Amino acid sequence: MSNLSLSTLYNQTSLRFIKTFIIWLPGAVVALLWLFPLYWMLNTSVKPDRLIMAGVDLIPTEITWEHYRTVVADTPVIRWFVNSIVTSVCVVAGSLVLGSLTGFALARMHFPGRTVIFWLLISSLMIPPEMSIVPLFIGVLRLEVQDSFISLIVPPLASVFPVYLYRQFFLSFPRELEDAAAIDGCSRLGTFMRVALPLARPATLAGAILIFTSNWNSFLWPLLVAFKTEWKTLPVGMAFYTRLDIQGTSTQSGYGEAMAAVAIVALPTLIFFLILQRYFIEGVTQVGIKG
Amino acid sequence: MTHLADRAAPDGWLSRLSRIRYRGRRVDWQAYLFILPFALIFIVITLLPIFFGIYISFNEWGIVGDPEWVGLDNFREAMQDDWIPKVWGNTFQMAALVVPGTVLVALLMALWINREQWLSGPIRTAFFAPHVVAITVTAIIWIWIFEKETGLLNLALYGIGIPKQGWLTTSKWVIQSISLVTIWQAVGFHMVILLAGLKEIPAELGEAAVIDGASAWQAFWRITLPLLTPALGLVITLEIISAFRIFGQVYLMTGGGPGGHSATIVSYIYHEGFVRFRLGFAAALSLLLFLTILLFTLLRARLVREHSN
Repeated sequence: MSNLSLSTLYNQTSLRFIKTFIIWLPGAVVALLWLFPLYWMLNTSVKPDRLIMAGVDLIPTEITWEHYRTVVADTPVIRWFVNSIVTSVCVVAGSLVLGSLTGFALARMHFPGRTVIFWLLISSLMIPPEMSIVPLFIGVLRLEVQDSFISLIVPPLASVFPVYLYRQFFLSFPRELEDAAAIDGCSRLGTFMRVALPLARPATLAGAILIFTSNWNSFLWPLLVAFKTEWKTLPVGMAFYTRLDIQGTSTQSGYGEAMAAVAIVALPTLIFFLILQRYFIEGVTQVGIKG
Repeated sequence: MTHLADRAAPDGWLSRLSRIRYRGRRVDWQAYLFILPFALIFIVITLLPIFFGIYISFNEWGIVGDPEWVGLDNFREAMQDDWIPKVWGNTFQMAALVVPGTVLVALLMALWINREQWLSGPIRTAFFAPHVVAITVTAIIWIWIFEKETGLLNLALYGIGIPKQGWLTTSKWVIQSISLVTIWQAVGFHMVILLAGLKEIPAELGEAAVIDGASAWQAFWRITLPLLTPALGLVITLEIISAFRIFGQVYLMTGGGPGGHSATIVSYIYHEGFVRFRLGFAAALSLLLFLTILLFTLLRARLVREHSN
């Protein structure tokens, strides 16, 4: 009797396991396929040329850093890296300061024009950035700030995203907190600095991560304003590696280097993403639900 | 008594200002100081350039020499330019693949992950990862996957007996290939937005419907989908805008080739404005791009409104 129920239980469990497995298999396969190009980039970047040419093997049997060394020797990659880091960090810092101040005023302060200003900002999102690229480019040339951090850092600061993010966050704030702060004798700026901003940490983190990533990856604008090689950002500089072999000749020379080059561009944001995934998702979700 | 006197005493403009009311509450004048820094940057970088751009589009504007007012010439030229129907057509074709492709994959994956919790974290990670890398990374990885002789795609297809194709080098495949890459990079982002939308829908609603005799399919069409409309609308709008702005992948992977078969609106703007330095013409093209995007997003909003009525 007990033997029977045990085998029934066993059958049920294994049946459920098989069912779950069947439901999940296609999804897992699709997810692996989705990830495969990025995996293949890393895989190829550490494989010696000999193995790359020998054919497809999923796990490299031999690891080499040779391709990375070649990339560093062939291109001013350190300089590009510095350009990208300085630009992204400055844009993040600037955007967060501007966005939190503006977002706080739009969410928690009472003044004529509040609604109009908010809708003006939101509707500007409907206008593609390409509309302002020609005039901004002319402006950059007139001010002679091409090939400089000014032209790389200032235009991205006009992004509406951080303002929106902070506004949504501060709207969900309990009124009592401000009242308490006011009773304690805090000015508006004091309330903002000592009460609102510390509590907005999740918004700040999500904003910092998303702004950093989008600026690190930014392509068209840095491509336009960097005339000299030493003023390129990492993604623009590494575009150098597209010149290899589009036409499909039978040699695979340069494949390893190209993959090492793009791995250098991809790894900072990928690692960032893997560690801080929760905040990435939170930031995007904020845009989504409350949008 | 002193208290009362204190309040009445300062009758300067500052105190009068502080007593001004707007909709029954005192105006927080400091708010304008909070907004000022961003407002200045927004005006200089976004607002003024939009109007300046419209002005430029009525000029012949080169990189050297003085601009010259030419009225509607740039737009007239655009109407006769052979490249315009071509690049607009290519962009429409890409949008027609990318928008439904991205939304469909994102929706399917979101529905699925939402249902079962097990493994949903890793799957979300896998789909979102391509979204966080630069377009240069995406483009160069896929150039090699699409490569004709030894690229992975052709090797895989050759294994099952399909002859090798020039994915990026023949007019037959180039638009599909660019679209595939675009979908690959975009899906994760939209999946997360849709997941957030799905999480807002109470699970009991679907269950109640199924108990009432609805099939899972009916429950999806009648309950889940209508409740997901706001999130879905946002996803589609964002995708339409980004599909019409495809540039990096084309610039890097094909340079618009072969024979202009993958040239998009923005890659044409780039070519006219920043390779040939015909800035006036490029500004006119940007204006046409904006009008195209506006038309399609309005159309989408209209369709959704009619659908929900």
